Amino acid sequence: MGILKVDGITKTFGKYTAVNNISFEVEEGKIFGLLGPNGAGKTTTIRMITNILYPDKGTISIMGKPTGPEIQNIMGYLPEERGLYKKLKVIDQLIYFARLKEIPKDIALSRAKEWLAKLGAAGWENKKIEELSKGMQQKVQFISTILHNPPLMILDEPFSGFDPINTEILKSIILEMKSQGKTVILSTHVMAQVEQMCDDLVLINKGTVVLSGGVRQIKSGFGKNTVVMEFEGNMDFLNDFAGIKINERSNNRIEFKLEDSGISTNDILAKSLSNGVSIYRFEKVEPSLHEIFIDVVGKQNKMNKEQGNEN
Amino acid sequence: MKTKGSKILTIIQHEYISKVKSKGFILSTILAPLAIILMYGIIIAVTLMSRGQTEKKIAVLDKTGQIGIDLVARDTSKFFITEKTQDVLTKEVLEGKLDGFLYLTEDFINTGKANVYTSGGGGLGFIESIESNTEDIIVNKRLNEIGADKSIIDLVNKGVSITTKKVTEEGTKDDYSEVLAFMGYILGFLIYGLMFTYGSFVMRGVIEEKANRIVEVIASSVRPFEIMFGKVVGIGAVGLTQVLFWLIIMTVLFMAGGSIAAMFISPSDATAISGMAGAGAANQPQQHEIIQFFTNFSISPWVIVAFLFYFLSGYFIYASLFAAVGSAVDQEQDASQLSLPVSLPIIIPIMFIPNVMSNPDGTLATVMSLIPFFTPILMIARVAATDVPLWQIGLSVILLAATFLGALWVASKIYRVGILMYGKKPTFKDLVKWFRLD
Repeated sequence: MGILKVDGITKTFGKYTAVNNISFEVEEGKIFGLLGPNGAGKTTTIRMITNILYPDKGTISIMGKPTGPEIQNIMGYLPEERGLYKKLKVIDQLIYFARLKEIPKDIALSRAKEWLAKLGAAGWENKKIEELSKGMQQKVQFISTILHNPPLMILDEPFSGFDPINTEILKSIILEMKSQGKTVILSTHVMAQVEQMCDDLVLINKGTVVLSGGVRQIKSGFGKNTVVMEFEGNMDFLNDFAGIKINERSNNRIEFKLEDSGISTNDILAKSLSNGVSIYRFEKVEPSLHEIFIDVVGKQNKMNKEQGNEN
Repeated sequence: MKTKGSKILTIIQHEYISKVKSKGFILSTILAPLAIILMYGIIIAVTLMSRGQTEKKIAVLDKTGQIGIDLVARDTSKFFITEKTQDVLTKEVLEGKLDGFLYLTEDFINTGKANVYTSGGGGLGFIESIESNTEDIIVNKRLNEIGADKSIIDLVNKGVSITTKKVTEEGTKDDYSEVLAFMGYILGFLIYGLMFTYGSFVMRGVIEEKANRIVEVIASSVRPFEIMFGKVVGIGAVGLTQVLFWLIIMTVLFMAGGSIAAMFISPSDATAISGMAGAGAANQPQQHEIIQFFTNFSISPWVIVAFLFYFLSGYFIYASLFAAVGSAVDQEQDASQLSLPVSLPIIIPIMFIPNVMSNPDGTLATVMSLIPFFTPILMIARVAATDVPLWQIGLSVILLAATFLGALWVASKIYRVGILMYGKKPTFKDLVKWFRLD
């Protein structure tokens, strides 16, 4: 059963339509990617789910109930723009936010200590937020999001500001929560994280859903028409091939898409060999989400632009 | 409903405790009464010091041969008889050996005209004291010369003293209308200061939460209205705490004031002080009045209740509006322009206070004090100074309540939109637009 059901929500600000008839469903116990370029309407959508804004049209239901003040307690929201009271002590901050989710003070206190220890932040209780580094503040903020043990978490760019070690710690915590049956909505621009963590996703652009489904299905749906090559030598001749779109190119790795199904990979291989390129890897793969993202959003933007010109 | 209440309570508690615990609050709460005590102390110290100080010594060059002796007898610390010539005395004054001299010519008893020569200064009281002292003597002399009866002389010497008495249902009382008017000023200004201070606390708190992006996290737990209202109530409670603390301190000081005054102005001292204070011997009754004032006069509890009510109602109206302004801007510097329409109605009544106090029962005073935005400052000034008719009090309460609800409604609609708006510095027109949204 879907823990969250978004059904045809629309939100306009004056003449500007931020969200236009968006629908999707999040399965319980899954990690769900909410993706889209800047200004796509992600934040507005999240704010409607968290009951900060109200949709003009459409409904949002969580665990079968319409979203509202009572539902807010079962959600934990980590906004992209982080915020803590600079002058407040870490422990007071955590207790305050937990109490706003109606967790009694003593429970909040013991849980806060547990979590601080778990994130390698034991002993920070009485430090003021302004005394902490940015990464430390991020940890406190993350703890404040989950201290009330919500079954549904909405994390907007949770890894920003973390070093690779802390990113891994956070990832393992999120995956641990998933294994406990909790649901996570993950909004991020880092597609690699989505590929690693998400089960399902929805991609929105300009206020509408342009792609949705399971990550696996979406990738296989785009077919194995991407080639990854690792090599040594000069591959510039690829530029002359018609029907090839290069996604990523570096000194000794190239990823390109075969847009024209008539192109034979054998031709490319033969040409490479005749140019004296040593090949370490040549593989037909599913496209990366990164590529899909650029492909889908780019196509739609181009289409809109053309429509705009016709009008 | 139950859950909603507890979240608001959490916010109120948070706002209250974090503010009350702050150094700024503790300092200002304690320092303000200390400053008043210090002021008292300085006044008392100055009085005490001036006691020991030698006043101006005046030589009396007496050609009448009668007045000088009586004058010196009145105050030997100030006057003494001299036989030197006018030229010598003038030289001594110039050289600073002498503060001054009084030259009484032969016909002084008849003309009553005399000159005092000094190096300048001395103040009004100094001349007055010479005048009143010599006048008493000369009147007695003249009466003696025409052979007036002693009973007549006594009658003339009795003088006049007018005390204002206030007629009330419980009988006549001493009236302190000037003191009361003064208190009206003080209370009006106090409410002005408190509304501004605590109103801007609310505004700064709202801006802090918005600038640091805290408000979005809180809004995912609590409705924007509750965030705003909780903040207004919490900081209002801080203000109330401070005011109550001051009231207690002031009551204690005032009660102690009577005995302190009595200590310094004991009847035996009174003559000595009056002699040296230069106000003349005739002001002895005034000393008793001061003691009486402290023992008899007290701020009526009714004025205190009214003060608390007008302070809180005014605070709630303006704090809500300040919250709306705070929600609209990204940083404090941007707030000044937008907060002007909110600050103005706080400043206007302060400009009108003198007019209102000069005739606290007049039409201008009545009308101005019933305009809800002006009521907190002007009505408390009137309540302190005069007996405001009950219907006016009742009407002001109703108008304030309605204004508060209106302000809260308008403010919460702006706040709800404002806290999520970043970037462009909003104009007053934007606020109107936000208010109309939905």
